[in-house]
Amino acid sequence: MSRSRLFLVGLSHKSAPIDVRERVALTGDALKDALAQLKGMDGVTEAFVVSTCNRVEVFIQAEGEAAARHFFTSRAEQAEEHLYAKQGPEAVRHLFRVASSLDSMVVGEQQILGQVKEAYGLASAAQAAGGFMSRLCNRAFATAKRVRTETGIGRGATSMSQVAVDLVEKIFGDLAGRAILLVGAGKMGALSAKALRVLGADTILVTNRSEERGRQLASQVEGTFRPWGELSQLLVEADVVIVSTGAPSFVITADMMRTAMKARRHRNICLIDLAVPRNVDPTCADLGDVYGYDVDDMEKVVSANHEARRGEAVRAEAIVESEVVAFTQEREARAALPVLATLRQRAEKIARAEAERTLASVGGKLDQKGRRSVEAMAQAIVNKLLHGPTARLKEAAASGDTALPGAAAALFGLDEQDQPARSGRGREGNGAARAAASSENAQ
Amino acid sequence: MSLTVLRLAAVLYVAAYLTYFARPRHVLAARIGAWFLAAAFAVHTASMGLGCKEVGGLEFFSLRGGFVLTGWTVAVAYLVVQRFYHLPAVGAFVTPLVLLILAPFLVGEGHQAEVAKATLQNPALTFHIFTAAAGVAMFAIAFGVALMYVLQEREVKGKRFGVLFSRLPPLQSLDTLTQRLVRLGFVIFTVALLLGAFTAKAVWKSAWSWDPQQITSLVIWLFYGGLVQLRHAGWHGRRYALLTMVGFALVIVTRVGLHAIPGLTIHTGSYSVGPQEGTQ
Repeated sequence: MSRSRLFLVGLSHKSAPIDVRERVALTGDALKDALAQLKGMDGVTEAFVVSTCNRVEVFIQAEGEAAARHFFTSRAEQAEEHLYAKQGPEAVRHLFRVASSLDSMVVGEQQILGQVKEAYGLASAAQAAGGFMSRLCNRAFATAKRVRTETGIGRGATSMSQVAVDLVEKIFGDLAGRAILLVGAGKMGALSAKALRVLGADTILVTNRSEERGRQLASQVEGTFRPWGELSQLLVEADVVIVSTGAPSFVITADMMRTAMKARRHRNICLIDLAVPRNVDPTCADLGDVYGYDVDDMEKVVSANHEARRGEAVRAEAIVESEVVAFTQEREARAALPVLATLRQRAEKIARAEAERTLASVGGKLDQKGRRSVEAMAQAIVNKLLHGPTARLKEAAASGDTALPGAAAALFGLDEQDQPARSGRGREGNGAARAAASSENAQ
Repeated sequence: MSLTVLRLAAVLYVAAYLTYFARPRHVLAARIGAWFLAAAFAVHTASMGLGCKEVGGLEFFSLRGGFVLTGWTVAVAYLVVQRFYHLPAVGAFVTPLVLLILAPFLVGEGHQAEVAKATLQNPALTFHIFTAAAGVAMFAIAFGVALMYVLQEREVKGKRFGVLFSRLPPLQSLDTLTQRLVRLGFVIFTVALLLGAFTAKAVWKSAWSWDPQQITSLVIWLFYGGLVQLRHAGWHGRRYALLTMVGFALVIVTRVGLHAIPGLTIHTGSYSVGPQEGTQ
């Protein structure tokens, strides 16, 4: 009897460099084809592939991991040395951790769950994922949801631009009807300006010493370029100012700010200085209605949030662990159904054999009707005898009891022969467990 | 009886406060908090109804009755406000405010004033009481929101991104809400003063008699009127929030102060006697 179980082979940002990852990563139709190919391979009953820019992981329900390994080596030979492989509960735990964003580059980021869901949807549409993968993935999603709601793992911004968004949001709420000013063409500045778009700013103004570079940046962030000479005027118009020039000294001085605040009639303004050395005089932040932050302030928030997330990750791991245990137990409970199938099959086999033996010795004296009666009697004895055990075992399967199927297997001596993987761990049924069990037994 | 029911309302207010404060940004917690508050409000209403039955409306003429009514209006005002501004964090500041207003009156019954029947039947008086309480309730909520602004401003400006930072709403929303509450409170309070003058004309025979209550009310009215004007002059933010808080402090100090000194004002005292005739 074959023992089919869950195998995982994969590589991620932790094990493989980007140039290996990009060679094995697949999306859309290419991934669908790959799934079909996997499913078609010998011994693979179900398959599911998570492919993002940070990881490519192949989950298969099979007798061995060879098919999953082949997925990688056929695409890039050098992938071999970066692969990790897990099976059984280890593989289940890995998937739960990935979905819960515990294995992500930025722990607690939210995208990964969506990506795993998408991956499952694709595998399901390609008919590569069946009953077992469905249960596995749904459990993974539920685990991820628990982790997100019960721990603070996703809380707090972990990038500078996200911190900028949080800060601005706490000052202005949203940016409808307000303007963002980008001073200088630094990369961080452009990133933050883009991130701030989620707050719905009406206009993005861009100014830069070099007009050419400034115009370039303006088209990049979908903003309007304004000449450098208008900076003082721009400070009056804009509500959020992001400064990242390469200048060695203050570009925005306290005096400039004082004049600007008067002209603004003291409307709030947020100055975010992303340049090192600083481009905004730190004393600007002492003025009323001016909220000024520099790289250090933002960095502090980022590292504090990282720290907090690490603490939450410990709690998240505990949740994952309990879910893995629960999932495995459930699977073991499902193993009660195959025990039942085996029991029935064996009893019927005995009944058939005994009927035949009887008929061989006395069958000559019986007519057609008599022969059929003997067969029916044998069948009836089996049915009556197994009626009780069948009901009990079904109950046990439903309530997650793993002891009874084990006891039944031992009592009826099912362990010794033709038993289709009573150790639930090894058995991962395809589709409804009973159908799977009977088909396996038929083999 | 009404006191027991009021105590029950207080317990429900505490429950609302705890749910609001525990997870102000949690959608479900906010909804539960709102339900607790609604329940507290309902029980509070029942308590006032029972009070009316027990003493026949006289209870509104004592400091106690006035405050119980004010707390009630604060609760209903917040319930209305939260329909339009989704800021459950405000609930974490408004519910303790209601409790603070009610707390001194949970201990005992307090004495009831003697009021002439004819006075009670004056409709202007009824409206005067309700509008005055509603106006003060608006000022009370404005106080709570302004306090939130000051705290949040300190976090944002001082780069302390702690527990309050993540829990409190954006400065802009708090600022806007403060201003609207002040303006609305001012309008209601204006009506209350006019109705008060009508009542005084009928009962005291003079719309304006330099009673300390009238003087302090005028000061408060001018103060909030000034606040409304300052907004048009561009005042906002921290200074505005602080002034809003000063305004409410003024309201509480004068109301409690006037009652602490017996005979200082005839307001809410015996309405059958003219002001010239002095005490009680």
